[in-house]
Amino acid sequence: MNRVAVFALACLLPFAAGAGETTAIVHARAHPVSAPPVEDATVVLRGGRIVSLEPGGTVPDGARVIDAGGRDLTPALFHPATQLGLSELGSGREAAASGKSRAGYALHYGIDANAQAIEQARADGVARALVIPSAAADDVFAGRALLLKLQPGGDIVDHADVAQFAYIGTDGSRAHSHAAAWQRLHKKLGRAHAPPQPPGEDPIHADADDIALHAVATRSVPLAVVAHREADIRQAIALARRWDLRVVVVGGAEAWRAAPELAAAGIAVVLDPLDALPADYDRIGARRDNAALLHRAGVTIAFAASAQGIYTSWNAGPSLRQAAGLAAAHGLPDDIALAAITRTPARIWGLDPRLGTLAAGAEADLVLWDGDPLEPSSAPAAVFVGGREVSRETRQTRLRDRYRPDPPR
Amino acid sequence: MATAADPYASTYRAPAATPTLFVDATVLDGRGARLDGHDVLVEQGAIVAVGPDLPRSPGQRVIDAQGAWLTPGIIDVHTHLGTFLQPLEHGSGAFADVAETSRPDPADVWIEHAVRAGDPAFSHALASGVTTLQVLPGSSAVIGGRTVVLKPVPATTVAAMKFPGAPQGLKLACGSNPSLAAGGREGFPDSRMGVVSHLRAKLAATRARMREGDRDAAPDLAHDTLAAALRGELPIHLHCYRADDIATMLAVAEEFGLHIGAVHHATEAYKIADLLRERDVCAAVWPDWWGFKREAEDGIRENAAFVDAAGGCAIMHSDIPVLGNLLHLEAAKAAAAGRRAGLDIQPEHAIRWITSNPARALGLDDRIGRITPGYNADLVLWSGDPFSVRSRVLLVMVDGVVHVEGGRRPATDFELGRRALELAH
Repeated sequence: MNRVAVFALACLLPFAAGAGETTAIVHARAHPVSAPPVEDATVVLRGGRIVSLEPGGTVPDGARVIDAGGRDLTPALFHPATQLGLSELGSGREAAASGKSRAGYALHYGIDANAQAIEQARADGVARALVIPSAAADDVFAGRALLLKLQPGGDIVDHADVAQFAYIGTDGSRAHSHAAAWQRLHKKLGRAHAPPQPPGEDPIHADADDIALHAVATRSVPLAVVAHREADIRQAIALARRWDLRVVVVGGAEAWRAAPELAAAGIAVVLDPLDALPADYDRIGARRDNAALLHRAGVTIAFAASAQGIYTSWNAGPSLRQAAGLAAAHGLPDDIALAAITRTPARIWGLDPRLGTLAAGAEADLVLWDGDPLEPSSAPAAVFVGGREVSRETRQTRLRDRYRPDPPR
Repeated sequence: MATAADPYASTYRAPAATPTLFVDATVLDGRGARLDGHDVLVEQGAIVAVGPDLPRSPGQRVIDAQGAWLTPGIIDVHTHLGTFLQPLEHGSGAFADVAETSRPDPADVWIEHAVRAGDPAFSHALASGVTTLQVLPGSSAVIGGRTVVLKPVPATTVAAMKFPGAPQGLKLACGSNPSLAAGGREGFPDSRMGVVSHLRAKLAATRARMREGDRDAAPDLAHDTLAAALRGELPIHLHCYRADDIATMLAVAEEFGLHIGAVHHATEAYKIADLLRERDVCAAVWPDWWGFKREAEDGIRENAAFVDAAGGCAIMHSDIPVLGNLLHLEAAKAAAAGRRAGLDIQPEHAIRWITSNPARALGLDDRIGRITPGYNADLVLWSGDPFSVRSRVLLVMVDGVVHVEGGRRPATDFELGRRALELAH
């Protein structure tokens, strides 16, 4: 072993379809997610969009043909709460607000498209990711989350201002008691209906925090409340009702205990199905079937797996599928589990409803899998972002090939 | 070694249990065999017979597996259960019991003296098929102290969980954790070279005192631990990530005649798989952790498979409670990565990474980690292939006693009367 690999740039470049090229994926078990699965589907991609998805559909003349051989074809994964691209290694400092702004803290200035975790996530089938701030040490507001589109190249920030994050309780802002956190949320958001002074979106003259909170108060962006305890879930419902906000609960280990109320309030939950231990005093009621209980009550759910933060950014793709698989093994229907890592995140964050679906006109972000996509042991056989098949070569596969054991003699 | 007079001896005794016959199971024996349609007979806490169509006797409990999969109990060589106590109490020194950090080399401490037997994580681990686990001191010290091997059975004291006759281990750490823990404190090494020289100096001093016949009358618990390790009585469990760091620590071990049982975390084990095999050192790894710190940036998913392919001893470990409940899936991911790299790794082989290989690292491979006559009846019955996310644990047996069945696991004291846990409210 230890053969020195020849560094050949050519093998980094997969087949690159030009903008006008047509690709047809044939004989796929296609999961549109927005509709029931289609056996023996032909999916045609052109100009970065899905043109058609039909059982046994015809292949347009001149199309590049990929035979799926009956394997599962799904929308690419959408990670609803990660910190991909914020730092090469795990210091976490890049994700927490410092300086003057808290609610106005904008992460897109810190995104590094060359971070290895970006390339790894894309090779693992992630095309979209919401990058979220960590809790600020001194404020309940943590800042604005952004949307990544994991296309090759340096231009990956798709939308810089998707949601405002607030952290409640012992897992978040140390400076605030639970009670203080809620009082600050009510006080700041209750006042934020008035336009910031001076008015407008001018970040030089208006206060960035005021602009960010005004966007929450006027429902132009949702407020993500990171909370686990049943009492805090109920406070989040009350906050949303009192100020007419779009609220999403992130974490929600005990959300199952307020499932009917969440459903009635139309509040979605981004949860971690790996989270089945009483990891802290806000999560005593953590259960493996949290997802199934919430779904049964009519709550919209998406998944983000943490493993104490390590899966969040460094195994974004596989951990999402493991999360969905565990939820499915504990009572959640397969189609809901798949939606929770593809389509539902886009809906929850108020983005284009065609994101995360295989529908005519949708962006052609899709993955062909070598097995059941909900099995952690499966992997992508091909990944398409914006209609182009992207490389699945990563630094890890380079190391693998350099140290691959000699075949048995 | 425990003696009749040992004040710290195990008080664990498996209660008497009905003889049990598992019928028509898909048996993974833990050593590489898959036995379809086999029966397994358990009597007095031990596996008595394995074979097709074993005769039935009156008084047996017969469990018709109907093809469900039976494996040895999972063994987790790296946990902090009972000390990384669930639930964590944030902002109050929640991690204080994981490691003694007042000194760079608390060789004198025994982690068992910090273990809360009622940590609910023990019950969750048991319900996930873990029947033996090791608790280690943390990695902020070069010489962390003595480890302990436990059964995650319901108990009020740690003594009642201790695996009878299991050797303690000695925890060592290399690399950035012990050097960063210094924080400028006097006497703490603050570089890789300082960590190594600190360890060598302590071992050299211990060896010199042993050669003098231990004439120093002053009691010295730290000396006792290092002397026991130098006599080969404490298997060494080494926290280390990088291949170069591991090789350096293997050189230190060679200098002092120490045997390292397992190198833990070892994200670069695949780079020195042949060396690890030659030195008979197991690699206890995650399937997919990488990048979260500099010394882990070269982690690859084929790590365990490449160690295994070199003829070495690969192990899946958890380190954090969440993963301790998912070790079967950790092995599934690692095996799948190996298959994708062209290696033939079937379930009957991959199960070794969470059964017989960790048993070997703990020095218990004559008792646990296999389904074979004479071995302890630590068994897990799975609804299907244990490496599928869709399979569920149906039953967990420790020493012939069923602790988990029908979705029910032992409730810890902590969980009693907790309203947040009640399903109907």
